[in-house]
Parts: sequence; C-alpha cells; structure tokens
Amino acid sequence: MTLELFLFFTLALIALVTAGGMVFSKSAVYAALNLVTNFLSVAILYLLLDAPFIALAQVTVYAGAIMVLFLFVIMLLGVETLRAEFDWKKIWLQAVLALALLVEGFVMLFQRMGQAANLPFNTASVLTNPSEMAKVLFTDYLLPFELTSILLLVAMIGAIVLTKQVKKRSL
Amino acid sequence: MIPVSYYLALSAILFTTGMFGVLIRRNALVVFMSIELMLNAANLSLVAFSRLYQTFHGQIFVFFIMAVAAAEVAVGLALIVTIFRSKQSIDLDQMNSLKG
Amino acid sequence: MNLNLLAILPEALLVLLAVAILILDPLFKADSRRVNLGWLAAGGLTLILLISFLAGQPAQNELTLGGMVRFDWFAFAFKMFFIFAAAITALLMMDVDALANRAEAYVLLLAATIGMNLMAASADLVMLYLAIETTSIPLYVLAGFLTDNDKSTEAGFKYLLFGAMTSAILLYGFSLLFGFAGTTNLAAMAVSLATPTVFSLGALLLVLVGFGFKTSIVPFHFWAPDVYEGASTPIAGFLSTASKAAGFAVLLRFSLTVFPQTGSQWQYTLAVISILTMTIGNLVALAQKNIKRMLAYSSIAHAGYALIGVVAASTLGTASAVFYMMAYILTNLAAFAIVTVAGRVIGSDDLRAYDGLSRRSPYLALAMLVAFLSLAGMPPFGGFVAKLLVFAAGVEKGWIGLVIAGIINSIIGVYYYLTTLKYVYLYRMEGEDEESYPIPVSRPYAIALTVLVAGVILLGTFFAPWYDLTVKAAASLF
Repeated sequence: MTLELFLFFTLALIALVTAGGMVFSKSAVYAALNLVTNFLSVAILYLLLDAPFIALAQVTVYAGAIMVLFLFVIMLLGVETLRAEFDWKKIWLQAVLALALLVEGFVMLFQRMGQAANLPFNTASVLTNPSEMAKVLFTDYLLPFELTSILLLVAMIGAIVLTKQVKKRSL
Repeated sequence: MIPVSYYLALSAILFTTGMFGVLIRRNALVVFMSIELMLNAANLSLVAFSRLYQTFHGQIFVFFIMAVAAAEVAVGLALIVTIFRSKQSIDLDQMNSLKG
Repeated sequence: MNLNLLAILPEALLVLLAVAILILDPLFKADSRRVNLGWLAAGGLTLILLISFLAGQPAQNELTLGGMVRFDWFAFAFKMFFIFAAAITALLMMDVDALANRAEAYVLLLAATIGMNLMAASADLVMLYLAIETTSIPLYVLAGFLTDNDKSTEAGFKYLLFGAMTSAILLYGFSLLFGFAGTTNLAAMAVSLATPTVFSLGALLLVLVGFGFKTSIVPFHFWAPDVYEGASTPIAGFLSTASKAAGFAVLLRFSLTVFPQTGSQWQYTLAVISILTMTIGNLVALAQKNIKRMLAYSSIAHAGYALIGVVAASTLGTASAVFYMMAYILTNLAAFAIVTVAGRVIGSDDLRAYDGLSRRSPYLALAMLVAFLSLAGMPPFGGFVAKLLVFAAGVEKGWIGLVIAGIINSIIGVYYYLTTLKYVYLYRMEGEDEESYPIPVSRPYAIALTVLVAGVILLGTFFAPWYDLTVKAAASLF
C-alpha cells in the first residue's frame, strides 16, 4: 500500500467517524467539535488532491470562522446542556434516500463511472500553484467574484438587522 | 494511484450522513451543521473532479461555495438567535405556530 | 475576452441605487423616512427599468464576461420582469411600518433583484449557484424581517432551512454534472451529456430538487404556504412572483441548454410533476379559509400550469412559459397588494372578513375582480391569454393528457376565485354598516394597483407586442 492510499484511508475513516459522531451526538458542543475534526480531515484530503489553497481556505473559513461562529452561538444560547432530541418518525423517508445515495456511492466505487478513473499523478501540476488559480479567478470569474462581495455585504446587513434589538419608543 | 471513485464514494457517504442529520435531528443548530456537512461533501467531489480534469474550475467553484456557506451561516445563526429570544428554545418541534 | 458591459447594466445600476439608499438613509428625518426611502427606491427602480429597456437591449445573443453571462433576449425579458416586480414591491412596502422605516429592507430587496437578474442570465454553473444564493439569502432575511413577530421569524427560519438543504442537494447535483462534463459552462456541458446515463439522470434529479424548491412545485412546495403566511404580505408577494419566475428562468435555460437530448424521461417527469402540482395546489386551495394561504396554494397551482410550457420544449412552449410568468407576476402582485391594503384595515386574513368589500372600497373590489378573474383564466385578462398559449404549446407537441388535466384544473380553480368574489360583491358585512368602515388606499398603493390592473388588462387585449418579446426571448435559447 502506498503512502497516499494509507493516508486516504486514514483520513476517510476519520471523516466518516466524525460525521457520524456529529449526527448522533447528544450534545451540541460535541457535534460542533466532531464537525471541526471532519473539516480538518477533509482539508488534508484536499492537500492530497493538489489543492493547497483550498485546503488552507477550508481550515481558515470553515473550521476557523464558521465553526467558531457556531460554537459562539451555542455558548450564547446556553444550549450545550440540552438533551438531544431525535425524530425517528421520518426514518423511513431518510432510509429510502440514504439507500439511493449509498447505492450510487458504491456503484461509483466499483464501476468507476466508466472512465479512466485513476487520478493523474502530475508532479508539475499547475493546480498546486495559487497564482495560476488567481489568473483564472480574476479574469474569467471576475463577475462572480464581485457578486460575492455584494453577497457578503448583504449577509452582514441581514445578520445585524435580524439580531439588533430595537428599543420600543413610548407613545 | 487512488481512483477518483474512492473520493466520490466518500463524498456520497458524507452527503448522506448530512441529509440524515437534517431529517432526524430536532435541534436547529445540529440541523444547520448537517447542512454544512452536505455542502462540504459536494466540495470534496468538486475538488476531486478538478484534479481529474486538471482544471481550476472545480477549485474556484469550491472557493465561491465557501463564501456562500459563510454568508448563509451568518444569516441562519442570526435567525436562530432571534427565535431563541422569543421562544427560549431551538427545538424544531416547537416551531409550529404556522401550521394550519 | 468578450467584455460587453451592457450585459450587466441593470445590475450595475441596482448596485448604485443600493449604495445611494444606504448613504442617504441617515440624512432623512425620522418621521419622513418611510416616505422618502420608499419613493427613492421605487423611483430609482422605475428609472433603472427605463434605462435598461432603452439602452440594455442585446444586439445579438452572445456569451460574455468570461463566459459567465449570456447576453440574450431571454435574460433581458426576465430582467425587465424582475425590476418591475421589485419596483411594485418597493411601493407596497411603504405602508408596512416595520419594513418601510428600515433602509436595509430596500437594500435587501435590491440585492435579491440583482441575484435574480444574474440567475436569468447565467451561462456557467458557478455564476448560477452564486446568483441563486444571492437571491435566496436576502429573501431569507426579508421573510424573517419582523423580528418581534413570532410567525415571521419562524417563516424566515423555515424558508432558510428548506432553502439551504435544497441548495446543498442542488450543489451536489452540480458537482456531479461538473464531473461528467469537465467544464462548468452550460452550453459546453450539453455536449458531454448528450448520451444520458443513469448517473447523469441522477444528477439531473438532484438539480431538479433545487429548482423545484425555487419554483415551489410538488413535492417541494411544503414551505410556500407557511412562509407566505408568516412573512409580511408585500414580501410574500415578491417571493411568490419574482422569485418563482427566477426559478422558472433557470429551469427553462437548464432544460433547453444542458439537457435538450434527454428528451422523453425529463419531459415525462416534468409532465407528471405538472399534473400533481396543478391538482394538489387547486384541491388544497379549495379548502382554505385564510386568504393568504389560499393565494399561496393558488400560486403553487399556477407553477403547474407554467410547467406545461416547459414540458413542451419548443419555441412556442418556452414563449408561452415566459408569457405566463409575465401575466402571473402582474396578477399575483395585484392580489397580494389588495390583501395587504385590506388586511391592515380589516385586521384579519380570514376569507369571510372580506364580505361586503365592494361597498367599503369599490376601487379595491374592482382591482380584486380583475386580479382574481385573470388568475382564474377568464378573458379579457392576461391570465386567459397565458393559459391559452400554454395549452396551445402543449397540444402542439402532443401532450393532450397534460392539457386536459390543465383545463380540468382551471375549472376547479374558477370555483375558489369566484367564491371570494362572491363574498366581496354579494355578501354584506356584519352589521351591514359598510359606509362607516371604508378602506382607504394610500397613494403608493393606488399607483401600484393602477399600473398592475392596467397591465393585466393590456396583456389580455393588446398582447401582441408582449407576445413578440416572449417569442424573441424563446428564440434566443434555441
């Protein structure tokens, strides 16, 4: 077994275990911490996939910003000690969906989507170079980039508007 | 070499786990976290395909998805905080004043 | 790289307007803020509509701005619809105090409109996903805007949860499509997807989940009645018209650009969904006692009728679907405007509370007559022409069963629209004292309703120029 294969299986195992841990955990804080570990293992998988910029963005944005925000809100609301509630009534629907997707997953695993499925091993891969990525990002994808700035502004405005407590004026 | 289908299978299983969480859990925060897991699974498959085709499009897509996920989380958590202020609970079963 | 900036002229102007509103907001005095902001937003949007209409017409259908946006008549037509709907909604928001006093509400409305414009124009998966989210996130906030109202925050949260989940499913579908095609450009994807496999159909189904949520077709319609009821009425009006039309724009473009060869499976699926949507929408609307929920289910049914045009994947089919969206936007906005005005005075959304409305405000009742008859599909209103075109497209392509289901559903629909009109015109208020309880209609609402009613009547009588626009739009996709 090559190092790459060993790494992949270890990280995949960690990702799967922590994903399951998140969904079935009794405490919101444990769920959040499981998810952080999941994101970190996926980030290392991105490194295996020749995407160093995305790997670091994953750590910074997902694990570093989004999950910290989740933990803030969990602590703010004081829900870390709430008992977990599960709704087992919907399980039949979920079972069907889960089965369909798992079947697709495993079929993909064994049928390899009908194409040369081995990931090319390219030591001079341009994918690892962030400046090459920037060239594509800032020329072809300029409009989505600008739109993202509007989206982030809107999200900020929305979050403030929703949580700001307006003092009731006395008539 | 690792076939791309291994990554796809992992992505599919993570996606299913996330969807499981959305349907089964009653805690609004955990449901939201499960949605993030689903998005992450899609990201993984995009980056894997990007490597397969030796192109940047997948990675750039993931870059934008991360920005969108951050924005969505900000708004979603703001809504959860607002609801908590009035109902003192984030249990989805108690948010049913609209039924009927 | 082709950099035709006229393609994003409306969006650039919308950004400028949003910035202007944010900057001018602190300068308005508190008591006149509502009026000033509203007229600024509505006036600005009307100006943008005029400028874009005159200067932003596409000379030829082309892919521009790095392959992200397609500058064609299809996108242009929908952009005009969205800006119009936003202008009317800005007028309608002026009477809802919690919305009108906050500049942020108008800015969020503008941001959602920018997102919708780009949704209609997207030619690339990245742009499409980003545009869909730029539309949805402000709308989540707007739906939950009335933070001291439990129903509103719940509506916002339900909308967000459902929306985020379906957008994640949509994204997974997009990732699979990218995997099949190796590119994110919609037109280039069609080449790789020409021979449908089980996997590409699976990806298609996942994508359909996402689009189905935006257009609230069965079985993704569960969020609509709750969210429309909980959100404040002008926002519900905007959600049910512009946001749905944006979903249809994307559905049409996707069907015709990415999956033209999938042929029968895709069309049969959509046909079944269309029948289910029409039927369930109409049947549940029959049982409703709350006028907002009735309108919500009626909007769901209308999505079903418009789907007939999507199923008949021809020029007439696409043109009829675009025309249906135009007529539907005008009519539904009118209906929600009337409910807003009447609801504030009557104080309840109960259907029976509208008894005797014709004596309390004849003009409002007349507007309601026009709107509801158009929704029912009666001539000489826009709804009739829209239904006629959609059924004609269905028959042209041989979908006779689908068209018959549509006709039967239209007849069922007539019942609950006419019942409401019966309450308005033939019944009397409790105490039979209508003269002392008139319903005043403020200036913005008077303007909005006049424009909408005139538009509905125009679309039903002199519909030729509008029809030409939709045919040009449809032709640009083939």
